[in-house]
Amino acid sequence: MAAKTIYPTRPLATWKKAKELRNTYYKEYATAHDRGAIRWAGGAWSLGAVPAGLGRDVCCLTSEPYGASIAWDRDFSLQCLEAVEKRGYARDLCSYMRNYWGSLLLDKYAFGGPFPKPDFIWQDHICCSHAKWYQVVTDFEPEIPHFSIDVSVGPYHELTENRLEYLVAQMHDGIEWMEKVTGRTYDDELLIEAVENECRSTSVWAEVCALNKAVPAPLDEKSMYSLYALGTLMKHDRRVADYYEELRDEVADRVANGIAAVGNERCRVMSDTQPPWAFLEVFRYLEEFGCVSVGSLYTFGLIGMWEVGEDGTWGPRKTPMQKGIEIKDRDQALRILAEWNLSKPEWQHFYSPHLKSEMMIRIGREWQLNGVMLHYNRGCEGLTVGIAENRLALLEAGFPVMTFEGNMGDEREFDRARTLARIDAFMETLNLRRLAS
Amino acid sequence: MITAGIDIGAKTIKVVVVKDGELVGKGIVLAGLDTKTALDGVVKEALEAAGGLSLDDIDFILGTGAGRQEVSFANDQVTEVSADAKGACTLIPSARTVIDVGAEEGRAVRCRDDGKVEDFAVNEKCAAGAGTFTEAMARALEVDLEELGAMALRSTQAVPMNAQCTVFAESEVVSLLHAKTPKEDISRAVHDAMASRITSMVRKVGFQKDVVLVGGLARNPGFVQSLKRGLESDVLVPSDPEYVGAYGAALIAAERVQEGR
Amino acid sequence: MFEQFVEWERNRHDYARRWKERTGGKVLGYFCTYVPEEIPYAAGVLPVRILGSHEPQDVTEPHIFGMFCPFCRDCLAQGLKGRYDYLDGIMIAQSCLHIRQAFTSWQKHVPTSYSYYLPFPHGVQSKRAYPYLAGELEAFQRSIEEWTGRTISDQELTQSIDTYNTSRRLLREVYELRRGPKPALTGEEAMEMVISNQMVDKADHNRALTELLEKLPGRSPDSGDGIRLMIIGSEDDDIPFIRMVESLGATIVIDEHCTGTRYFWNQVEANGNLHQALAARYIDRPACPSKDWPVRTRIPHALSLAKEYDVKGAILIQQKFCDPHELDIPALKKAFEEAGIPTLFLEFDVTVPLGQFRIRVEAFLEMLSQADMFDDDLF
Repeated sequence: MAAKTIYPTRPLATWKKAKELRNTYYKEYATAHDRGAIRWAGGAWSLGAVPAGLGRDVCCLTSEPYGASIAWDRDFSLQCLEAVEKRGYARDLCSYMRNYWGSLLLDKYAFGGPFPKPDFIWQDHICCSHAKWYQVVTDFEPEIPHFSIDVSVGPYHELTENRLEYLVAQMHDGIEWMEKVTGRTYDDELLIEAVENECRSTSVWAEVCALNKAVPAPLDEKSMYSLYALGTLMKHDRRVADYYEELRDEVADRVANGIAAVGNERCRVMSDTQPPWAFLEVFRYLEEFGCVSVGSLYTFGLIGMWEVGEDGTWGPRKTPMQKGIEIKDRDQALRILAEWNLSKPEWQHFYSPHLKSEMMIRIGREWQLNGVMLHYNRGCEGLTVGIAENRLALLEAGFPVMTFEGNMGDEREFDRARTLARIDAFMETLNLRRLAS
Repeated sequence: MITAGIDIGAKTIKVVVVKDGELVGKGIVLAGLDTKTALDGVVKEALEAAGGLSLDDIDFILGTGAGRQEVSFANDQVTEVSADAKGACTLIPSARTVIDVGAEEGRAVRCRDDGKVEDFAVNEKCAAGAGTFTEAMARALEVDLEELGAMALRSTQAVPMNAQCTVFAESEVVSLLHAKTPKEDISRAVHDAMASRITSMVRKVGFQKDVVLVGGLARNPGFVQSLKRGLESDVLVPSDPEYVGAYGAALIAAERVQEGR
Repeated sequence: MFEQFVEWERNRHDYARRWKERTGGKVLGYFCTYVPEEIPYAAGVLPVRILGSHEPQDVTEPHIFGMFCPFCRDCLAQGLKGRYDYLDGIMIAQSCLHIRQAFTSWQKHVPTSYSYYLPFPHGVQSKRAYPYLAGELEAFQRSIEEWTGRTISDQELTQSIDTYNTSRRLLREVYELRRGPKPALTGEEAMEMVISNQMVDKADHNRALTELLEKLPGRSPDSGDGIRLMIIGSEDDDIPFIRMVESLGATIVIDEHCTGTRYFWNQVEANGNLHQALAARYIDRPACPSKDWPVRTRIPHALSLAKEYDVKGAILIQQKFCDPHELDIPALKKAFEEAGIPTLFLEFDVTVPLGQFRIRVEAFLEMLSQADMFDDDLF
């Protein structure tokens, strides 16, 4: 057993600002129509920089983080899930989607008031549920126009001009379509600005995560969930890009001064897929053993953009601006945005779990992990696809792996007592006993 | 040195007392609704069997099993995963895969020769791979639980059965009865289906020989036979398989005393 | 009359092995019916669809998490058990996440000399899908050429397309004979025919279909005048289930499955460019729900089949955990019921509990025959 080390720790100074940004986001969306502003709905992965060209007042509600927000509130979530089941939808469908539909059917917004219906739907499709999610929304609300872009063109390392062009052509069509359904004229300058913001925010987020390679880790995964969430809301927004830079500076400072997220860190693990949102206490439970989850491919690679640097390790992907590229027109902006998004780590496993295993093993080594906790998430087939193969590959690479079943957004499928019992057994296999509190 | 392991499972409580490495006393009781009274009774029984000891004579008590928190007088706890591995590897040193099938849960543990756990899997939220499933099936077949396992050994043909869920399996048993399928063959089908779920889980931990089966279901010869067929491997069963977890906990308790805690 | 099809379907592996011996060609196992078989076939390769065996199994747990559909696990089990040990290669055309896992696990644990992932577009309702897929088909053809060491000439590809189009036309001619008041074949026979079609050299199958078409007109099988049903849903090759349904006084007259009509319904229409023509055929075919968005084109298509084939009721069959179908079923059910066609929903596993399903089907058929009597009273 490792000796008990105590590192200095302190709360994040920039935490409050993250909270404010999130609150503002949900409020701005709900009140958009009071200001004559436009609001759209779509996934956290949708190419959100594109609708930004409709004007500075455009607001959005990204559906996965919204579904997660509902999951936090167990009572409301249960009402939502039951409303959807009454309509005949299966219980094993994506639980974010079911929370979202329920909120729409009940006409209740998780942040108070009636459900703010979008003016249009702007979605992309890589997992089987993405565009179908909003197809069902239009079953309920037939007057909401819907545009979805197919982004499933294969893994990034096999990207060809044919594949990129398919995406870009759909984006051009989407702009024409948006002009038609909103009656607004599209502003390419605003698009270019949003693309630059998105590249900046997603690259800087990767920089923040890379700082967590340090021992002790300056951030723990439970806190990272709240921080990366901003990127899932509006990665194309200047406020988020600016905030991530501020956060990066603070985290770099923590590393320089040896400030830990968890003072008794003696064991480092990562998780995988979305956590069971109603039970984040699982991460606090790990701390009783001196174990800290320092992140996951999910927290690093859903919003963060990465590349292998000259030293062979993973670091933030260089933005077009850092490379001195000036974006001059719509087509160039769309191509850059498409190409940038196709390199998203969390899009690669859709084509092969083996690509994901490679990235996970890399994280295991570079972030100096002692083990891995895989959440076999019944709520999301998109991120759970291939997870059993990931487990085998991690074991083969020498990492102890624990799996636990649950559901990110349907608490009925999470067994708290059993999961904690399983963590006990896993900690025993890592030779860790509970530290005296 | 005297130590004790107390295993509180979903259905029964097992107590084992170990003195200088030797098992000197044991006891088992149905947990029932009043766990505390049942626990006090069975601890007393085991201590008496160990030569009339009292709780004060025990150097270290480890609680294990799903209800381990309920052993208020235990010095510490250990999970059933570690306890099973320790107990089984001590009884059968060649054990590398330990399967424990109890009333509500099945587990598979891959371990080293010293009983340390390398990997484990637990069946999830489904009774179709645990003891209560055989109870439901015995009810559907209208036979005693003890008879159910022995009956399977007399089966003459394999009948496929879909055991994804206890409720479906029960209605399938009824359909097979209506179709005049012999009860012996249905019993085998029940055990095959159950063994198939356990085999799936065992394959997940990547099983190595020798394979040791512990827990209450190890007493069911029909299940043991189906498991051997499913794994295409011999399966060793120690005597008193239901005590292995408690025994392992008592042994780990002794190690902890030696470690000085 | 259907013995040949039954023989092929039951002994699919023997057929493929014999085909290899006979032709010396390569066999390519494929996982989804969006695979443009015409291209490998033009290179002398036999494409065979990988299907399950409907036996309980315990080998896939380490590879596929239990929340994914039983069909993908059953398919992978066949590979892990060595049943397809004669395959020279495997491929998939991108469709749902479930079956993709059978492919990716197979790639790693049952290695073959060739594997190909065709990123088939999901956005089949976008006009951009056509040139994109045509480009992907060209790339796929180059890959097949490299694997087989031979170039596919336009003439060979044209010939392959012709053979496949013939197969589709013949199957539709047989299906035509199910439309009238006395269907010339049962649902079970039709299923044996279409499933064997997915694993047999189309040239062989076309000969058998031609012979069948000579004998079929005027035939009326014993169970041919039951209550007319349609089956709709996911992959479905569960012959014992179909047999059970038809033993209860029903006749299945039409389907909307990827093991049935979705596979063969439309033809490749020549348009001057072979890859563009092929791309259009696969994009415009009756859609799998995973690709059927933003508009649900499946519903009007299935409804028009129901009307043309004069069905009295529809069984909605869904592989357990199949999300794309789960996302369509409430809308499908509503549309059918609004059109006066009652539906029965059943969830399929590797094996289905026939006893329990029998009771539900019986009740459904009772309800349909009562509805019939009520109609008679009215007129």
